[in-house]
Amino acid sequence: MRSLSIAATGMLAQQMNVEVISNNIANMNTSGYKRQRAEFNDLLYQDMRRVGANSSEEGTIVPSGIQLGLGVKPAAIYRINEQGSIQMTDNPLDMAMNGKGMFMVEMPNGETGYTRAGSFQLSPDGDLVTPDGYPVQPGITIPVDAVGVTVNANGEVWVDLDGQVDPQLVGQIEVARFPNEAGLQALGDNLFAETRASGQATVGVPGQAGFGSVLQGAVESSNVDMVKEITNMVAAQRAYEMNSKVISTSDEMMRNVSQMR
Amino acid sequence: MESTNYIALSRQASLRRELDLVANNMANLNTPAYQGESMMFVEYLEDTQRGKTGEMSFVQDISTVRDLKEGPMKRTENPLDLAISGRGYFTIETDDGPRYTRNGAFQLNEEGQIVNKANQPVLDGNGNPIEVPDDAQSIEISEDGTIATEVGQIAQLEPVTFENEQLLMKRANGLFEAREEQVAEPAEGARIMQGTLESSNVEGVVEMTRLINLTRSYSSANKFSESEHERILRAVRTLVSSQ
Repeated sequence: MRSLSIAATGMLAQQMNVEVISNNIANMNTSGYKRQRAEFNDLLYQDMRRVGANSSEEGTIVPSGIQLGLGVKPAAIYRINEQGSIQMTDNPLDMAMNGKGMFMVEMPNGETGYTRAGSFQLSPDGDLVTPDGYPVQPGITIPVDAVGVTVNANGEVWVDLDGQVDPQLVGQIEVARFPNEAGLQALGDNLFAETRASGQATVGVPGQAGFGSVLQGAVESSNVDMVKEITNMVAAQRAYEMNSKVISTSDEMMRNVSQMR
Repeated sequence: MESTNYIALSRQASLRRELDLVANNMANLNTPAYQGESMMFVEYLEDTQRGKTGEMSFVQDISTVRDLKEGPMKRTENPLDLAISGRGYFTIETDDGPRYTRNGAFQLNEEGQIVNKANQPVLDGNGNPIEVPDDAQSIEISEDGTIATEVGQIAQLEPVTFENEQLLMKRANGLFEAREEQVAEPAEGARIMQGTLESSNVEGVVEMTRLINLTRSYSSANKFSESEHERILRAVRTLVSSQ
């Protein structure tokens, strides 16, 4: 029975929908997390009675024919790269991107990872690193005797040294931008990798044309909207139930047949 | 004279196909811009030995009818999610020629083109794929379909429509194929809404009631066959015992 497998595709789709929603909810407090959405498309159509077929010898044609759809399939799960809200933390090494651009991080395998989660820390050597200890690129070292760190909107890192009046420039934070951010591959730990779909990274200085600016002492919260997620979940659950109803209906019809004498 | 059974069977066969249709509507409850379908049944008359007065009436499903009602609009805040308010379709370029869709869940591909989820480019009013410059930070699409970035206008989307939309053939991924004689005309009164997706216009409650109706009709057709079977059985027994 075709309806059984059609309803099964519907249930699988809704299950995936709930999985995506639950991951969003689980990450609602992850800094720099971008919510995801599952998108569905209808499957192939079977032409039972072709549109435009002759319905009589006089040449009249069937106006719209019978096309039976064969269910639904997941089309994409994609990230919505809307800016998350900015949360002030007053930690001088927390940096939020306001606008386009991702911080670059050197991963243990030597490749560059990209992230929007700018809650950085200092390594024992004074290097600017992520909470996992991955150095931020290009390497920025804060001198041990620094008493204050200032990062301006353009990503320049200035330090106040004990006994010196003028702040000293110790580094420049560079950020990367992609033609299609939705095409980045998520690696977990708030990190993303470049793919063919994302396009080549354009590296630049924050505040430049096309790049957002850096906000010190703040982190970007996730852009998950709780209310939206819950309503989506309710909708997904109902859709799941309705599809299961189709299955029980098909079952009932088959039982009817098998009980015939 | 087994035609009673055949009549019941014609009903059951059509109901089964209708169930497939309802199942597909339900499966696509969350597919953007999906339009629900229903089946159109007609009577199929056949002459008997008694001529025109004793015609037998079978049931036949002749076509599926698409519900062209606009689905509810859902805000997504994604700049490349577009919905059409009013009649109209986006034009999509595929390897097999132009296809039409109301599903405006678009994205950028690696070449910077605006594409649908199956990586097929969306065409502008002049029939060209739309390329968004690399350095664009934001994409603004106005109600009349003008696509602009901060450097200026780059293209214009022009929704199209057809004289009889029911004649469009459904293809996968929410696409429609126009038949040869169908001419795409500019859709008047169609407005493009950015950051919005048209939801599926399937109403769960309606489909549920159809489903219940279907099951009941199916089992009553079943009963019909059964009682017919008993009738013949009784007739045979009576005839046998009267000999």
